[in-house]
Amino acid sequence: MVPTEQAMSKATNTPAFMSGLEPLTRRSLLRGLAVSGMAVTTGCSRLFGRKDAPEVLEFTSLSESEARTVTKLTAVLLPTEKYDMPSALSVVPTVKNVDVMVGQMPKQTRDLLGLALWVFESRPMVSFKFSSFSKLDDEKARDYVLAMQDGAFFERGITSTLKTLITVNYWRDSRTWPGLEYTGPVTEKWGVRRLGNAPLPLV
Amino acid sequence: MTQHNKISVSVNSTEKASSHFRAKGLNVVEGRTLNGDVRLRANVVIVGSGAGGSVVAYELARQGLSVLVLEAGPYVPSEKFSEDFTQSLEHLYADAGAQTNKEGDLLVLQGACVGGSTVVNACAAFRTPDFILRDWQEKFGLVGLSPESMLPYFERVEKHLSVEENGEHEIAKHSQLARQGANKLGWSVKPLKRNIRDCALTGHCLSGCKTDRKQSMLVTYLPWALASGASLYSDVMVTRVKATDGRANGVIAEVRNADGAVQANIEVSADLVVVAAGAIQSPLLLQKSELANSSDQVGRNFACHPSLFVAARYPMPVHPWRGALVGVYIDEFMLPEKGGFILEAGGLGAVELCLVTEPGTGAPFVDYMRDAKHYSGIVTLIHDHNVGRISWQDGEKRIDYALADEDFESMLAALAAAARVHFAAGAEKVFVPSTQSLQINSEAEIDQVLAELRNAPQVLRMVSYHPQGTCRMGADPANSVVSEGGECHDVAGLYVADASLFPTSIIVNPQVTVYAMASRIADQILARRDEYFSEMTG
Repeated sequence: MVPTEQAMSKATNTPAFMSGLEPLTRRSLLRGLAVSGMAVTTGCSRLFGRKDAPEVLEFTSLSESEARTVTKLTAVLLPTEKYDMPSALSVVPTVKNVDVMVGQMPKQTRDLLGLALWVFESRPMVSFKFSSFSKLDDEKARDYVLAMQDGAFFERGITSTLKTLITVNYWRDSRTWPGLEYTGPVTEKWGVRRLGNAPLPLV
Repeated sequence: MTQHNKISVSVNSTEKASSHFRAKGLNVVEGRTLNGDVRLRANVVIVGSGAGGSVVAYELARQGLSVLVLEAGPYVPSEKFSEDFTQSLEHLYADAGAQTNKEGDLLVLQGACVGGSTVVNACAAFRTPDFILRDWQEKFGLVGLSPESMLPYFERVEKHLSVEENGEHEIAKHSQLARQGANKLGWSVKPLKRNIRDCALTGHCLSGCKTDRKQSMLVTYLPWALASGASLYSDVMVTRVKATDGRANGVIAEVRNADGAVQANIEVSADLVVVAAGAIQSPLLLQKSELANSSDQVGRNFACHPSLFVAARYPMPVHPWRGALVGVYIDEFMLPEKGGFILEAGGLGAVELCLVTEPGTGAPFVDYMRDAKHYSGIVTLIHDHNVGRISWQDGEKRIDYALADEDFESMLAALAAAARVHFAAGAEKVFVPSTQSLQINSEAEIDQVLAELRNAPQVLRMVSYHPQGTCRMGADPANSVVSEGGECHDVAGLYVADASLFPTSIIVNPQVTVYAMASRIADQILARRDEYFSEMTG
């Protein structure tokens, strides 16, 4: 459950239950983040080839707040239209890909990702004039990402993980490959013959 | 109660094996077909079907022993391989490719399917360096593992697995560049040897070889073992090794359905148990079994060759996904006194490019990806110290591994060397594999940029393909788990046959070392067959 701003302590800008999360240690948080970050490279495999129009997609695993965070980060991270590449928001369903991947995560990883997204969304409240990340304009949002990238080790870990989550879910779509001249799977395209098992050794 | 009788192999011969040999695929008993309580009996039960387990299975089965191999992962026939790295991680790798250390800054990639990591490795085939074997002799009393005594085993497995030096056509553009750079620097560079037949140059080794050209266990020792009478079960997780009065006599295992519920409980009675589940799962199994750990060394001494993928941009297109995945290696710094690391030139695909460095946010990231065809890569492998630990805590595995300070220096030295090779070969820019956005624009900048790095969590983007060392072999039962013959010091009839045996890290890709050690262990078992096997199970 992602906490609302109202539930947060005015003094510390942290929710009341955050103290209870201290034993969640940065290490275990980061482990979970790394897991989720790497899982992104795997989790959406069932979506491979899915090319639904983003406007008809609904998010089933990301909360509304989380989807806003991911959408904003996608916009900031991947301004692909400016480069004559498929849009990361209106052509390639990057956020939906993330949504489905999140739905396949183990509970522990999912919870930690939720915490990471909340942290990422909420930290600008202190240093970026009390605006949450998804409400920042694009320029400030980009500055914030850069600041997190150069921050403490856990901030770097969160930022790298979320960036990986998004970029992999964009470039895994085969529509992005022609721009890179990436060929993808080739064996069937090339008609390569299967050799089968190696012959039994002569004893 | 279901009784699954083992295939009787009272008389074994090449002729008989030939009659059972399948030209393609494997006759695997898939765990999903099992329900309720299942009891099995074999002379030898082997836990794991990777490099160690498969070799032992074949070598014992062809001598007439009944052999049962239990693999926790699924059976994925090669024609099902997708050549898509993201899908492959999910279907072929441990934890769907998300196995990490506790800090989350080391990804540990292991195969978790029938054939184990041999299915998804890059095919690089090195013998154990002589100085490593001598070190094991001197420090761990492994006098039987001298370079001379291991030679026949290396020769045997290399012949079986078609290990050959890369031909010129297998040196892809990325490897040509690394060779060019090394030559310019006057550094030793050699073609890699690989276990592959007639490579189709698809570049998708890490997703499994769709046309069976990689000589993994899936197409070599496993079909040979099955033809010789062994049985292979997939999707079966061994949860405990059974032992009575200090003598191993079987295993307990289970099959879980898609919802995670146990659908079959399996009990195997055997004269001998061989644990070959890899350097992470093998110590966990011994810990859960509360066996073989009087030395308190089970799970300790974990090393992993933490590696970095050092990408660079070249002015000309490289297309790093084209051609053989790995072509050449630079061994100029292989000896510990010269640095203790090697560099391997390697390719990668589009998605993987998102993982290896931190190119920036927004336009810099898109620019980085748009240049994908211009990148070339070098993988660093270091002789890391055995500072890690694998343990079973609160029902979960835990991987403790933080770079030792001296290993961090080795990582930086390897990184600097890779950058020098790139610049010598004409690279315009080198991307530092870190979580910070760091790039090196000339050779003169290397030291200055790398000085930004420090040994702390979440600094380097490290990947391990070679976990090892967690049930180490040694002559002294007080500081090792397994004897030189492969049998646990504490438990008769309990053998270990995988990379967990390595007393130290070996710098190079470990598959050939595991094959050779497993072959030797099979010989050791056969030399004592009268002691272990009162009768052939049929």
